[in-house]
Amino acid sequence: MGVRSALATLAAGAPTPAFVLAGAGGRWAAEQLWLEPRIAPALSPRAADALVVVGYLTEALLPAVILAHDQIPPPRLAFQWLPDGAPDDPLAGMVPGVRVVEGGSLVEVVRDAHAGLLAGRGDGHGDAWPDVEPAPWRGIGPYGQGGKGMTGGVPYGRPLTGRADDRDGLKLDRLDVRVGPVFPAFPPGLELIVGLQGDVAQEVAVGENPFEGGPASGGVFALALRKAVPIAELEVARARSHLRWLAGALRVAGLPSLGRRVLALAARAGPGDLDRVARLRRSLERGRGLAWLAGGVGSAREDVGGPVGRAAGHASDARAGLAEYRALGFEPLVHEGGDALARWRQRVAEAEQSLRLAGAAGDATVGPLDVVEGPRGPLGPAPLLELLPGLVAGMEWGDLVTTVVSLDLDLEEAAARAGVPA
Amino acid sequence: MAALGAALIVFLFWTGSFLALRWAGDALSPPPGTSPSRVPFLGGRGPGTHAWSRFHVRYYAMALVFLAFDMEMVFMYPWAVVFLEEGLMAGFEMLMFISILVLGILYGWREGAFRWA
Repeated sequence: MGVRSALATLAAGAPTPAFVLAGAGGRWAAEQLWLEPRIAPALSPRAADALVVVGYLTEALLPAVILAHDQIPPPRLAFQWLPDGAPDDPLAGMVPGVRVVEGGSLVEVVRDAHAGLLAGRGDGHGDAWPDVEPAPWRGIGPYGQGGKGMTGGVPYGRPLTGRADDRDGLKLDRLDVRVGPVFPAFPPGLELIVGLQGDVAQEVAVGENPFEGGPASGGVFALALRKAVPIAELEVARARSHLRWLAGALRVAGLPSLGRRVLALAARAGPGDLDRVARLRRSLERGRGLAWLAGGVGSAREDVGGPVGRAAGHASDARAGLAEYRALGFEPLVHEGGDALARWRQRVAEAEQSLRLAGAAGDATVGPLDVVEGPRGPLGPAPLLELLPGLVAGMEWGDLVTTVVSLDLDLEEAAARAGVPA
Repeated sequence: MAALGAALIVFLFWTGSFLALRWAGDALSPPPGTSPSRVPFLGGRGPGTHAWSRFHVRYYAMALVFLAFDMEMVFMYPWAVVFLEEGLMAGFEMLMFISILVLGILYGWREGAFRWA
């Protein structure tokens, strides 16, 4: 028993740092890994030992996943989780050394492989992409950048930034960066093409949706389009969706422990948890920290439906027109302001309202419906992705992330919605 | 001569320590990794432009104001030395100087110089 193996034993006791990313159909299963004490989800592949893909890969997602894989420092591990009995992912083989795990044993498999890796066993496999510079060092120019002076040339195959007018009247370099689709602070699959000057996003465009053309996701809300479903089931699903969003938003806001507690609540929330959610709502309404973070940020006044529209004072809710809901005393909740803070408060208040409705509904059912009010607004084309570039242009980076998170985007749902007639 | 020898020993000791640490750092660090693994992590895409760019430091106005007031503190050191001898007169003089500076701050505040650019 040398020092090395003693250290390996010690290290194997610590949680496995893993870069977890959600593929198609894996968003909520990936979120659940934050509750797992033996896994420490990393915010960057550089801080991870293992790549964990939860759900299915798509052609558009694959290059990003492979780059994230290569950026995990070797020796590294790669896993893909699929639900029990689900068909194989034809793209899984494109990620080198990936081990496909089905069903509930993911954490055990990751832990075993990680302990083996630390003990020097196992298969720390190599890179997917060859070690080739995009362009070789040319040795031309005073800094070898391949051009004249400090502004010419294409060093290492990448052009230098161009200059553009800045908001304080200077002309400064504008960096065009593509953030996503596996950026941990953004919803899975969201890719923003940002023109950055310093920390100000001068221009923002939304990249391709990697889930486009994927299978339509099911869920109780889509079911209500076709047949009658219990109101209690719909409302509990809505409350859980809002609470899961809150957990992720708290994590991005730098409160991971509170986020973890909310996530645990979201996994089992029912009418019996009404008091807990009410306490949560009151603490969010009183908290000064949240008001400081999100107050006045990203105001969207348009009536886009869903919690985002209701947070701007528009009482549009498909449930308000249903006799079943009116019998339960339902009235749409609204908040004023339409900023990120109002959206936070709107969702938590709606989660509480949904649990109250679920408790009061008993066995009452509703449906099949023409328009179903989902947790992100009526099922159908979602205007939020088109709204996003105009909303965040000119913001500093921190405000941009706060705004993106507060919109509760779901790209998989947006891709599926494109196929649902309005 | 003894002092020179001591200085030489100190110099050699620190040079040796520096080189040893450099060597230890190189020996312990993992190999640098491949070209794709060295690009910055942006969420799965490579950078479109070279990192060699002029980053806008938006606190620059604040930094200049800080430097200006920091330098004015220099005048207070000689004043503090003679303050007890000169008495109340020196107190008034410094009060005048500081008041003018405070007026400058208020003017800058009104003009929005302290807003985050």
